[in-house]
Formats: sequence, structure tokens, C-alpha cells
Amino acid sequence: MTAITEGASGSRQRFPALPGWAITTAGIVAFLLLWEVVARTLLAGSYIIAAPSEIVARIDEGAALYGRALRTTLWAALLGFLIGNATAILLAGVASLAARAERLVQALALVVFCLPLVATGPILRVIFGPGIGPQVTLAALAVYYTTLIPLLVGFKAVPSSWPDLVASYGRGRFQTLIHVRARASIPYLVAGLQIAAPAAFLGAMVGEFTGAERGLGVLTIQAIRTLDVAGTWAIAVIATVTSIAGYVAIGWVGKRFSHGAPPVLLAAPPTPDRSAPGRRIVTGVLAVVLTTVVAIGLWWALLELFDLHPFFAKRPSDVWNYLFNLPASGANRERVLSALAETLSVTVPGYIAGLVIGFLAACLFELYPAAGRAATPIAIALRSIPIIATAPLIVLAFGRGAFGMLIIVGTLTFFPTLVAVAQGLRQTPGQVVDLFGVYRAGGVRTLVTARIPSALPAFFAAARMAVPAAVLAATVAEWLATGTGIGNLMALTASTSAYNLLWSCVVVLTLVSVAGYGLVALVERYVLHRFAPEQLR
Amino acid sequence: MSRLLLPRRKVLQLMGAAGAGALAAPRAAFGQALTPATLQLSWLHSAQFGGSYIALDRGIWEAEGLDVTLLPGGPNAPVEPPVVAGTALMGISAADYAGPAIMEGAPFKIIAVAMQKNPFTICSLPANPVNTPADLVGKRIGMATTNTPILQAICTFNDVDFNAITIVPTQYDAAPLANGEVDCLLCWLTDLPIALTLRGIPNVTMLLADYGYSVHSQTYIVTDDSLANRRDEVIRLLRGEIAGWNAYREDTDAAAELTVAMFPDLGLDLEVQKLTASEQIKLMFSPLTDEFGFGWWTDETVAENVATLAAIGITVTPDIWDRSILEEIYA
Repeated sequence: MTAITEGASGSRQRFPALPGWAITTAGIVAFLLLWEVVARTLLAGSYIIAAPSEIVARIDEGAALYGRALRTTLWAALLGFLIGNATAILLAGVASLAARAERLVQALALVVFCLPLVATGPILRVIFGPGIGPQVTLAALAVYYTTLIPLLVGFKAVPSSWPDLVASYGRGRFQTLIHVRARASIPYLVAGLQIAAPAAFLGAMVGEFTGAERGLGVLTIQAIRTLDVAGTWAIAVIATVTSIAGYVAIGWVGKRFSHGAPPVLLAAPPTPDRSAPGRRIVTGVLAVVLTTVVAIGLWWALLELFDLHPFFAKRPSDVWNYLFNLPASGANRERVLSALAETLSVTVPGYIAGLVIGFLAACLFELYPAAGRAATPIAIALRSIPIIATAPLIVLAFGRGAFGMLIIVGTLTFFPTLVAVAQGLRQTPGQVVDLFGVYRAGGVRTLVTARIPSALPAFFAAARMAVPAAVLAATVAEWLATGTGIGNLMALTASTSAYNLLWSCVVVLTLVSVAGYGLVALVERYVLHRFAPEQLR
Repeated sequence: MSRLLLPRRKVLQLMGAAGAGALAAPRAAFGQALTPATLQLSWLHSAQFGGSYIALDRGIWEAEGLDVTLLPGGPNAPVEPPVVAGTALMGISAADYAGPAIMEGAPFKIIAVAMQKNPFTICSLPANPVNTPADLVGKRIGMATTNTPILQAICTFNDVDFNAITIVPTQYDAAPLANGEVDCLLCWLTDLPIALTLRGIPNVTMLLADYGYSVHSQTYIVTDDSLANRRDEVIRLLRGEIAGWNAYREDTDAAAELTVAMFPDLGLDLEVQKLTASEQIKLMFSPLTDEFGFGWWTDETVAENVATLAAIGITVTPDIWDRSILEEIYA
């Protein structure tokens, strides 16, 4: 089977083989040259971007300092990466074993992922006190979700006959999970872990904003405050290179572990849903109610457990009163909702643009692998560069208004989509591709009729995950760069101590993210039913 | 690879953090037992808090029987929660931060004032300077939108048409002024102007405190509970601060050098720190402090604060200032 798969990929080679590393290197060199020229001509004398040569000189000059900072941040990122991903794997296992719990696990995981840094940072600092606790936690929070969701998809990417086979031997769900689902999910897990590498690093860096003595995040703040552009970019480059190294290393390890071609998934005969539509609605409503009750219960219980003071740790009842029970509630709602509208007006277009471009780029890279090899490092770099360093550049290029925000959200949505879809496209069974090859079907036709349907679940998983990610990106950009929308409203809390407002914003943002997620899931169900019913089990 | 191995101390710290941060192990007593006390700073370590470093470095607090931990702040580290939560015995806030927090139910008081004059400044370039509030007319000002009420107040106090100023939401960053995107910045005297100067960009500053903006900054806050039950520790902690800051005033360069030496991992620039320190004492010491001592305030200065805060939409009452600790110290 392996030989066949190799043959299939070989038959797509249209150009005389240039070694992959050569293409990648050429892409990077061209990019760096362009950067150097632009920084030294167009942007010379401005405090926006440093030329690569200046950055290298700065890194060399501050090597000892940057080395120590990198060690600190990397350590926190690594711990967060391990804890976050272990949690994700555990949660996915639970969800797979207890099918009824899957929805609840997914919903709660989503709610936790939606919590904005501005709200969680200070609370984590109070809970952990001095040290790297908040950095590790924020890194873990940044990764667990993007691992959990692909993993749940991967657990389902098995031919229906395999679990049946296990069942026919009298074994239960646990054995199916270990012997069938876990193995099938490895490529999905690897894709999730790859996305997690830069996310963990950024999470650890932003965690240092909650008050730290050392680390790359701390140095970034110092560099920006002192107008040290070369320093800012030196740190950004170190962060980016580290993230890319993590990404590549995980991909390499992943390749070693995922042997065997992806299996052919055949559509099972559709199982008609016998329950009446009325009853299905009731079940759906019950699920929402249950999730809400559990989420609110956990919220309240955790604050009580850690005995957090109600001045800054608001309870569900405080938020309810603020929004609905006070004379000022009308004005409060108006304040939150108008800021939300401002945020959504850039988040939604940015999100859609990121998804579409990510999807198209993955398809393009599948058709022209050379382009993919040259562009992938740049795509990872885009995701890994701390937004605090790129924001001034984006603002310069696209203005301080909505368009700059749209670019930021789009960039952050684009990368996970690209990775997930590229991985999904490669999940097309070799036999299917060979069949297309035998009939001399062109690359485009193979892509459209064979590869894209296999990649649909991965695409939708990415689209679902990107909903909270896009909202978070928008609010962080509003906080750090533009001073608009709900992100800014939440950041105001630092000076006004309006914690009721902050927590209300958090609740509203979470509800919006969950609703957006639900909407994407509905579209997904419809599309998969129509084009890839075999992936629905 | 060896870089990834973690020192045992870190493991213990981490275990402590992950396990139960609340379980503070009682310190083993060697000779004289020191009482642990934590001071929450309002920003990352820098010469801005040099007085505290002197108190630590010279053993002033140790002599007071205190084992002091200085917690750094940051962009996402408000001072009020750790103080309210009891993580820190004392915090460094400001009247315009502490006031709203108290009104929102935070049970603490301002017990001393480190910066008599507010550090907010309009920073501009010599070619197109803002020397007086009237010069603001027609200018593009880069600032955090959060600070809009401050600009409004300055306009009101000095009869300037607020609508004739264009606000550019640059947040807190000197680059837009250096790049010509704005004509002036609303910032602190002690950071962005110094950064510009050391990058070779001469600049003009106009201190808002000279034009009616009377808001105490770098104020010490302590909870009502600590004032009642840990009063002695609060007094000793503040006494160390006062001694540290008086020494800071004597030799700001030495304070800057100490700062850089104490925090080698922060990449602090000695020249930046020296300038910060020498600019900062202009805000901290005045005829008032010469007469009564560091940290002091009078009913008149509090009344000015209450009036200024009212002008920027913050309602506070004079009783959020509590001078009893200072009175005991200077008695």
C-alpha cells in the first residue's frame, strides 16, 4: 500500500525535481532580500521595521540576554504545551468513550477557550502569586482547544467496519479507542500539535504581561517602550524562529509515527433519525440548558474554591444584575453591545477572508507543491510573530482603522486553516488518488472531486476553531493597537476597575463565539451530509 | 538540551505555584525571624521604583524585621486585585486608578503619595511644539483612548476648544511621533520623552500638573483590613520606602545603576534609567515634602485631587486618603 501511495505522489511531479530544501531556501532568501531593501529604502529613518542585517547584529550583540530570556519563556511554553495537550487528549478520550458527553466537553472547552486574556491574566496572577504559573496556564489555554477539536475529528476518521470488527470480538468502546480510533487520529493530532507550537510560545509571552521578572515578553515591552525597533524585531525573530522550529520538529516526529496510508472511508447507509423533529428540538434545547448550567456552576464554584474577592472576581449574579437588574442596566447593555457591534464589523469579514484564503492556499500548494514549500515557512512566521511587533507595520500599511484590524484577524485565521486543510488534503486515500491517476484525471479534477471532499472535515474543524480564535485576535488587537471595540472596553478595566463591565463583556463575547461556532457546525452538517457522508460517524 | 533541564529551585517554585499558592510556608527562623511582606509595583522593574530597590539592597527592611518581596507589574497586571486579594500587603496605584476601584467596592485606602505632581505630559517636537495648552489647537495627538477624559479636563481648565484637537488612537507608543504620524503624544514625563531623547530625537514636554491637572500618582494603597490588623507591618514597610526614596533623591545615578545591576535580565539601558530617575524626583519632592517628609499630603492637595478627578468623571470623597500611618511614622 505504501508503494502505491508513493507512486501516486510521484505521478503528480510535473517539474524536473529540484530538491525541496532548495526551493524553501530560495523562497526565504528572496523574502529576506525584499525585506532588507524595503527597510533600507522605503522605510529608512522611520521607527517601524528593522532591516534583517540590523536584526542579526542586534541578536548577536544581546545574545546572552536573549538566551536567558528565551530559556525562561521557552520553559513556560513547553510546560504549557505539555499540560494543554495532555488535557486535550484526555478530554477527547472521555468524549469518545462517552458519546453523550462529547457535546458537553466540546461546549465547555469552547467556553474556556473564549476567555479573554485581559480577564484571565490578573486572576491567574492572584491565584498563582509570583512565578511562572500564569505564563504556563495561558500557554496551556492557548493550545488545548486546537488539539482537542482535530483529535475529535480524527477519532471519527475510521471506516465504519473497523469499530464493527472490534465490537464483533466482544470488545467495547475503550478497545476501539485504543486500537482503531487513536491510530486513525494520529495525523490529526500531529496537525493540532503543530498549530499548538507557536500558540504555546505566544501564550507564554503574553502571560509575562501579567507581571514577570524576565522573558521575551518582558523584553518586548521594554523594547517598545524605549523605541528600540531593532530590539523589538530581534525578539520577534527569535520568537518566530523558535516557533517554526517547534512546528517543524513536531511535523518530523509525526511523520515517523504515522505509517500506513489513510484508509478509504465508504459512506455507510444513512441511518434515518427516527425521532420526531419536535423531540429533536427538545433534546437540542436540553443540551444547551445543560451546558449553560454546568458552565455557570463551574464559574461560580471555581471563584468560591479559590476564594477570590468579589471586587475583581465577579459572580454570575453580578453580571446578571449589571446587565438586567439595575436602573443603569439599559445603558450598560447599550455600552457592551455597541462595542461588540464595532468589533464584529471587522471580525466577521476578517474571519471569512482568512478561511477562504487559507483554503485556497492549501489547494494551490497541493497542486504546486513547490509553491507550498517556499511559502509555508512564511505562513508559519505570520502566525508566530507576536502581534505586538507586527501591529505597527500593519497599521502603517493598512491604516489604523477597520482594514488594519481585518488584516490582523484574517492573518490569524488563515494559518490554522491552511495547516488543517493541507493535512486534510493529504488524508485522501491512495487508492482513490490512484484511480484518478489511472484515468489520467488532471490535478485540478483530482483535487476537486477526490481530495477536497476528504479534507472537508478538517476544513470545518479549522473553521470552528477559528471562530473563538478570530474573536480573541480582534480583541487583543483592539486592546494593543487600535483602542476600539469591545477589546478596548475590557482593557479600560485596568484603570477604572469596572469589573462588572469586564465580566459582562466576557460573557457576551463567549455567547457570540459559541453562537458562531454553532452556526459553522450547522453549515458543516449540511455540507458533509451532501458531499462527505462517510465522515459523519 | 541542558538549557531545558530545570533547576531544582524552579521545580519547587512551580510545584508550589501549581499545588497551592495559598499555602505560604512559614519561614524558618534564623536568629531573628523576618516577617514576609509583599509590595506590588505598578509596572515592570525599572528606576521608577528605585527607592524600593535601595531599601532592599541596603537592608533597610531587614533592619525593620521585614522580608520584602517586590512583585513587578505589567500591561496586564492591575495593582488593585492582588492588594484586595491579600497577595500583596501594599500596592503602588494612583489616585485616578485607586479612586474608581474604591468606588467599585475595593476596600482600601491611599496611605501615602510618592508622586506629588502627576507625570502626564504632552510631548512634541521642537519644530512644532506644544508649550502651552493653547498650542494644542489644530494638533494631531497620539494617545490611548482611555485617557480622553484627561485631555478634556486640560482643555476645560485652560479654555481650549477640545474639538479643535484630532485624537489618533495610537495607544501608548512613541513611534507615531517619531514617524510624523502625530504632532504630539499624551504620555508620562518619565518614559516616552526619555526614549525619544536617547534615540536622538529632541523633544518638548508640557507637564499637565502645571496646567491644573492635580492628581496624585504612585500612591501607596493598603486594605482596610491590613490597616487594622497588620498595621505594624504596614508602618515598617512604608518606613523602609521613605528611607529608600530619600536615599534615591541623594544620588539618582546610583539608584539607576543599582536598578540595572539588580535586574540584569530586563535589558535595561543605564542612560534611560539615569534620565528616568533624575526626571522622576522632580515629581516626587516639593516644598511640601521638604517640610513634612516624603509621601505627605495636605487637605488642600486632596481637595485639588477631588476636584480634578470630578472633572474627568471620577467621583471620590476625601476620606479615601488616610494619613494616620504617615502621622505615626513622622510623629
